[in-house]
Amino acid sequence: MRVLLSLAVVAVLAAGIVTVLRDVPFGGNSSRLGSHFVENGREDTGAANIVTSVVLGYRGFDTLGEVTVLFVAAVGLGALLVAGEKNAPRKLEKASMVLTTGSRFLFPLILLFGAYIFIHGHLTPGGGFQGGAIIASGYLLVYLGSRDRRLGKNWAASIETGGGLTFVLLGLAGLTAAGHWFLSNFLPLGVPGQLLSAGIIPIIYVAIGLKVGVELTGVIDSLMGGTE
Amino acid sequence: MVNPVLLLAVPMGLAFTVPVIERITGRVSRWVPVAAMLFNLVLCVRLIPAVLEGPVIVQLGGFVPPFGINLYVGPLGLFFAGLIALAGLVISVYSLTYIRTGPLARYHMLYILLLVGATGVALTGDLFNLFVFFEILCISSYALVAYNGDRAGLESSVKYLIQGSVGSSMLLVGIGMLYGIFGTLNMADIARSVGMVDQGVLFVPLIFMLGGLGVEAAIFPMNAWLPDAHSSAPSSISAVLSGIAIEVGLYAVARMVFTVFGISDLFLFLAFLGVLTLLIGEMCAFAQSNIKRMLAYSSIGQIGLILFALAVASGVTVTGGLFQFVNHTFSKGLLFLSAGYLIYRSGSMEISSLQGMGRRMPLTSLAFTVGSFSLVGLPPFAGFPGKFLIVRGALERGGTVIVVLTGLVLLCTILEGAYFFRVVQALYFREGISGGSGERAPAAAAVAMILLMMLILALGAYPQFAETFLRSAASDLMGAVEHVGSVL
Amino acid sequence: MTFLNEYAFYIGAFGLILIGLLTILLRHHLIKLIIGLSIMETGINLFLIAIGYISRGTAPIFPVDGGAGTVMVDPVPQALVLTAIVIGVAVLAMALGMAIRLHGHYGTLDMRRIKELKW
Repeated sequence: MRVLLSLAVVAVLAAGIVTVLRDVPFGGNSSRLGSHFVENGREDTGAANIVTSVVLGYRGFDTLGEVTVLFVAAVGLGALLVAGEKNAPRKLEKASMVLTTGSRFLFPLILLFGAYIFIHGHLTPGGGFQGGAIIASGYLLVYLGSRDRRLGKNWAASIETGGGLTFVLLGLAGLTAAGHWFLSNFLPLGVPGQLLSAGIIPIIYVAIGLKVGVELTGVIDSLMGGTE
Repeated sequence: MVNPVLLLAVPMGLAFTVPVIERITGRVSRWVPVAAMLFNLVLCVRLIPAVLEGPVIVQLGGFVPPFGINLYVGPLGLFFAGLIALAGLVISVYSLTYIRTGPLARYHMLYILLLVGATGVALTGDLFNLFVFFEILCISSYALVAYNGDRAGLESSVKYLIQGSVGSSMLLVGIGMLYGIFGTLNMADIARSVGMVDQGVLFVPLIFMLGGLGVEAAIFPMNAWLPDAHSSAPSSISAVLSGIAIEVGLYAVARMVFTVFGISDLFLFLAFLGVLTLLIGEMCAFAQSNIKRMLAYSSIGQIGLILFALAVASGVTVTGGLFQFVNHTFSKGLLFLSAGYLIYRSGSMEISSLQGMGRRMPLTSLAFTVGSFSLVGLPPFAGFPGKFLIVRGALERGGTVIVVLTGLVLLCTILEGAYFFRVVQALYFREGISGGSGERAPAAAAVAMILLMMLILALGAYPQFAETFLRSAASDLMGAVEHVGSVL
Repeated sequence: MTFLNEYAFYIGAFGLILIGLLTILLRHHLIKLIIGLSIMETGINLFLIAIGYISRGTAPIFPVDGGAGTVMVDPVPQALVLTAIVIGVAVLAMALGMAIRLHGHYGTLDMRRIKELKW
């Protein structure tokens, strides 16, 4: 019964989807928005990576919301896993020497790579979220190697707050500058393609990168049974 | 003039500072929501004159719509932002003392962000931005429902999460389809081009989006999560979820139907769905013996009533529906807040264990009674003008089907009265049973409940003050053409 | 055959979405439900990217030496997918956290046995 009902629901949905997609050809022309962004993105925001100019320029407010969503998840997960009784300490086998040494060796390199990704977010593929995820993966590796090395709680809290506040305050700074709106790019845009270009975009991406790195590390920490 | 974007940016910034504040001193963080919502309330009041002259359009990042995201702060958006700020303020005062255990700082952060998400949904003029704020609202409510960490909270939260995520996915599919069809995400831009596209093609994304938003709004076939989640959450969170979260979901549905799609063929179906939701909610509420579940089902009923009012789509009923939004936020908030301490005192959620509470907790019982009477729609309280406007408008509108549906609405009011009077009777006219703790409602909770009672009485006594503003909000909701004209 | 060629990405994307939905509707184990959610999200991301594709377009990133005249795909859906992925991660993290706590309470993740709340 349940199977039949579910299949019926799915079939109806599939039929609906087919009717719509006949009108949206695959690989067709660019939308009005898309072509506008590709043509004007570099002049408007100074970023050579048009996806970045959309993410932090035209749709920067979405990204503020996105940062908030991740913040909510990190905070909520912490509340969820800290709230109850502490999990009984599990028996953990010590990691082998290869893993321990290897993770210690790779850790700084991974951090460096993550930082590279978010610093160059406006020039090359990548950005704050991707860089942050890479940094968190470095911490995950270290946790696998040796469970006692953790990101300090005070550090984590200040980076989380600092990153979020940087974003909001830069937006508000744009508001105070004459003739500008919230999150408008009030710094000089520079020459697209150079490292120091695109005004506030690299600053925001560095802030996001650090914040996301810390938050995802916190998520991993909570899921692995970290205690506060 | 003050910029409406501060309504979102400042509370968000304050929430971001809480982790550091918590590290420095643990006692301050619970005041942060109070400060944030007070700020929002003052800002909303200061924005009223400007908004009544014409909607305020905020171009974020300085890009002209449809290329950038815009906020659309019309009377309706400001009405919701103000309602959220006011209810959020009162409930945050209540939580100062109500929430005592668990990771307190995290509770307050999530609480602010839930309200930020709700405000964002109310103000945004961009579909994808709506989705993002919707997710902020949803994810923080998943976490807050499970805040107590007990079995019931976790179970209901996980159910809520799965249904909510499927809903959000549907919403995102709908948004993606609309982007494929129109090549834009701006609501006004879509509303402008909606007439040029085959209506049959639009129907599918509309269903996807209404299905997705309907989960959060708890419209009939998609509301299985609500009674569990609202009854298992801490009472302050139940008040926010019932009073704000589902109403914001319904607001988003109304925005889609009225502004973005402008489809009037669907109204009769929605009115029917509204009455069905109302009937099912009230009948289930009648059958409950657990007080919080009863209140949760009653929220489903109220949502159905408001959906019906909006779907009849005459100026009077929409005004009445918006009035009912206010009334439901205040009364259901008051009911959950007072129920929170009644439950603390009696140690049980069963209605039978509340017998004789009227003498042991006079203020809290009075608050519960005022809330019930207002929700049922008795004259001196805020519930009366709203229901009166809805029924009057629906009868004026005429048509056999609408009249029959209105009759069913009135029938449900009787049902509603029956189960609320049962509780009030237990509170005052039954011999008390001893047991439970000797807990009294502390000062902060008393202040919150008295504030809500005064608001309900004031609205009931002088509905005309609110009505003028609500009438312009109603025309804001129904005027898609003006919306397009002012944004683009 | 041309139909398949033209619509292969849409079919794949919606195939994933519907598979995910079926998983959620039919399975009882919480971890499987979460996997279903993930599959669905992946399908949606694929769908969004497919909408923005332009035949023979490249990634919308300008190289240092101009890059004028190249066909670039629509950047908007890519930006949307970035946001959608982050939101998906957030939901996934919450769901897994709840699964851990539920397992602590019940010792099982079978949703048929986690059923204390009734009508």
